Amino acid sequence: MTIAVGQRIPSQTVRVLNEGGTEEVSTDSLFKGKVVMFAVPGAFTPTCTNQHLPGYVKHADDFKKKGVDSIICLAVNDDRVLNAWAKQVGVNGKVRLLADGNADLTKAMGLDIDLRAGGLGTRSKRYAMIVENGVVKALQIEEAPRNCS
Amino acid sequence: MTIKVGDRIPSVKVVEATASGPSPITTDDLFKGKKVALFGVPGAFTPTCSAKHLPGFLQNAAALKAKGVDEIVCLAMNDAFVMGAWGADQDAMGKVRMVGDGDGNFTQAVGLELDLTGKGLGKRCKRFSMVVDNGVVKALNVDEGGFEKTSAETMLGQI
Repeated sequence: MTIAVGQRIPSQTVRVLNEGGTEEVSTDSLFKGKVVMFAVPGAFTPTCTNQHLPGYVKHADDFKKKGVDSIICLAVNDDRVLNAWAKQVGVNGKVRLLADGNADLTKAMGLDIDLRAGGLGTRSKRYAMIVENGVVKALQIEEAPRNCS
Repeated sequence: MTIKVGDRIPSVKVVEATASGPSPITTDDLFKGKKVALFGVPGAFTPTCSAKHLPGFLQNAAALKAKGVDEIVCLAMNDAFVMGAWGADQDAMGKVRMVGDGDGNFTQAVGLELDLTGKGLGKRCKRFSMVVDNGVVKALNVDEGGFEKTSAETMLGQI
């Protein structure tokens, strides 16, 4: 069942990239304050690399001005792949990358998508959500992985 | 059950990272009529794979070809987008064919799965190397830690 507005992000330990490496943090502490989280089906895939992540990096300061404490990009990739991707895109710490390599959080939120036809296995749908103190306040899901609007 | 020397590579679909993007290919086409040095790694961009394993095959590419290897293939349970990015990062494109087994079709068919869920990598393949001649396994090496048994240098002594 897909998570809905008004529901709480499931409590889990997740892997987040920091400048010094990968840190294991609980979702309870990660989603304190006002957080914008968006998810992409895969690092290095065309839409994600060319439009989705760069868009958030570019507008990171605008989000901060609107009271957003942090921006998180989730992907069902491991932390090494996300680290390489972040360097290529030039994230420069403006967006925190959440490596959901086992798809644990993605599945718990019911936002998984079967991309086996494309050789990508189980991934996350492309979505964006606003989370305040762990509670989903807004959620937009793209049903076609290639779209980014 | 793990594949063994003398067995034929199962017929499955994988996706190759090419200069023009991901391109689906069957293992039949990948291995048909040639001698292939195949090695598998648990993950693109992971330390051992990037620092030693793939570079070893790049450094020894000419020596392997001098011994009759037609092609060198690197496979991982990453998607072909990631394999392409890693191949470009390692300057491997055009020298080693980078193949993504993102669905695990190949890995499961040859019985070389590795559960790295504990490290946040999900299901991957063991570190392995194979000499495959016209689709038939001629040598098989598996490393449970380190990469010595599956290195390019070891393979040079097996062909």
